[in-house]
Amino acid sequence: MRFFFTNEFGLLALIALFALLFSFATPGFASPFNLFTLGRTMSIDIVIGFSMMVVIVTGGLNLAVGAIGVSSAMTCGWLLEHVGAPLPLAILGAIAFGAFLGAINGVLIAKTGLHSFIITLATMSIFFGAMIYLTHAQAFRVLTPEFSHFGKLKLFGNVSALLFLAAAVGALLSVLYRFTPLGRQMLAAGAKAAAAELSGIRVGRTYMICHALSGALAAVAAMMVVARNGAAIPSMAGQLGQDWLLPAFLGPVLGGTLLIGGRVSVLGAFLGSALVTMLTNGLLQLRVGEFWIQAALGIVLLIAVLLDLARRSFLGQRALG
Amino acid sequence: MGALSRWLRSDWAGPLLIVVVGGGAIAVLRPSFLSPFNIEILLLAIATNTLIALSQMVIIGIGQMNLSVGGIGGLAAISFAGMMQVWGLPPLLAASAALAIGILCGILNGALVARTGISAFVITLATLSIFKGVNLGITRAQPFYGVPESVKAFGNTTFIHPLPWLIIPTVLVAALVWYILNRQPFGRYMLAVGGNASAAELSGISVFAAIVRAHALSGFLAALAGVMLVARLGLGQPTIGDDWLILSFAAPVIGGVVLAGGHVSVVGTVLGVTIVAIITQALVLFEIDPFLVQVALGFLILWAVIINQVREVRMQRSLRRIA
Repeated sequence: MRFFFTNEFGLLALIALFALLFSFATPGFASPFNLFTLGRTMSIDIVIGFSMMVVIVTGGLNLAVGAIGVSSAMTCGWLLEHVGAPLPLAILGAIAFGAFLGAINGVLIAKTGLHSFIITLATMSIFFGAMIYLTHAQAFRVLTPEFSHFGKLKLFGNVSALLFLAAAVGALLSVLYRFTPLGRQMLAAGAKAAAAELSGIRVGRTYMICHALSGALAAVAAMMVVARNGAAIPSMAGQLGQDWLLPAFLGPVLGGTLLIGGRVSVLGAFLGSALVTMLTNGLLQLRVGEFWIQAALGIVLLIAVLLDLARRSFLGQRALG
Repeated sequence: MGALSRWLRSDWAGPLLIVVVGGGAIAVLRPSFLSPFNIEILLLAIATNTLIALSQMVIIGIGQMNLSVGGIGGLAAISFAGMMQVWGLPPLLAASAALAIGILCGILNGALVARTGISAFVITLATLSIFKGVNLGITRAQPFYGVPESVKAFGNTTFIHPLPWLIIPTVLVAALVWYILNRQPFGRYMLAVGGNASAAELSGISVFAAIVRAHALSGFLAALAGVMLVARLGLGQPTIGDDWLILSFAAPVIGGVVLAGGHVSVVGTVLGVTIVAIITQALVLFEIDPFLVQVALGFLILWAVIINQVREVRMQRSLRRIA
């Protein structure tokens, strides 16, 4: 019975509701082509959300998700086009590079004790600027055919292979937080760092691992974008990578991951990102006007945090009374 | 000697030193740096960037952050240009309306943060999208080209060579902000809330009012920067504000402002803006790739926050020794 009060069920219900609404409102929404496109876009937003989620869990922020993502994707493109590396090696190299950049963030935060906001604001600038300088803002377009083939792959009818990848990543993260000591350490460090430290958890090292994980996930998301586009383009995440910031927060926040840390919902983040992508797609199909979509998303984020606040205080009151 | 050591320990001694030494070094290596034309360009950049930096500084003062600075600036900018072009309003009226929009956006931010207690980061991230979205919805990503010649002249000409007209509003407003923060209760209450909100509340300060007023002021400053940029660029560009985020934090931080809140320095922030402007100019003069400006800014922020942290720790330690 309690399941029906959870955030996750609410999101599931909303997704089903809007899917139904959009299918009736526009003929294009339920078309195989649109569902396939929707699945691909969704999967990217989901992984971007995961990338931010793993840092929010420890009570921090990672503004550099976009910058790290783009840098990793460009590294992959460079490895493929200029070094002639085989595809698996290029992919691993890009993920490792993303983890490395994330680890830099983590080390800076742990060593200086400064808030992750300002550190990642600075590194966002450094990483993106260095990437643009090194690539001269040129895209890598000569990628191996397998890459774009994977981006176009359909499994079980119309479901994009990328969506399965996102689900697999989500499953791995769930296992991390539920069954591994490392995951529990992350949650503990996020809930109350001082208590965690006294319990013997090396909080500084935990932060570093979280940020490295965030960087790796950002790299995965960026490569999903490359697979979809068929090219590694430096502007894929906007100026300084800031286009990724809104989807990065929307998913986890809608999904019930608290910004103060200590609590996580991987399924929630998955459903949250899915809902937002679906809303955007549906509104576009309804010809609402592409330009008002961004305002709408901002309002959705506002409503989401307000609802979360209301829900928590309601539950708190029920528990007392 | 006592006065000198006191000044050295103040917020803006370091930044001032950097401006003098750095500017001097550049002038020696590239004499064109001090040419009237170059000074005019520097001042034009400083004029608008100071307001952007002060807009964020005010919010850092209350211990929060305002991600929507660029969104408010952009919305005010296109409103200003749009009202003149589409409704034919005279520039002063349109500018006043745009500033009012900025204040309203700020009040929305402040009210949401103060009323709900949700972190300013999330609220302003959401409102950034909303303001930017309204901007795009109105302009459809197309600039407003119908900016009157008088406005364009104000944004690009000098009154006493090489001082541009644009510097006058900035100097006046910066002085006003300094006055509010240092001599007015409204400003002192804001900083008190930033330093310790619960202590401020217990002292009878209305935390709600202080937060809303701070955000309103921030919105006003961002809107003014947007309006001035329209004057300088000569059109109502919807992308105004897109690149303000880093700058709005870099300048105050380089100027010695600590992100914890409660303590800000207008002079330090202005010097921070100057340092950023000088570095950007220097990269051009030395023919260094302009993309490296981003990298330089990022390193500057890192270095500045670490130095500020060290200074803060030292100050706490010396306070404890006295007490």
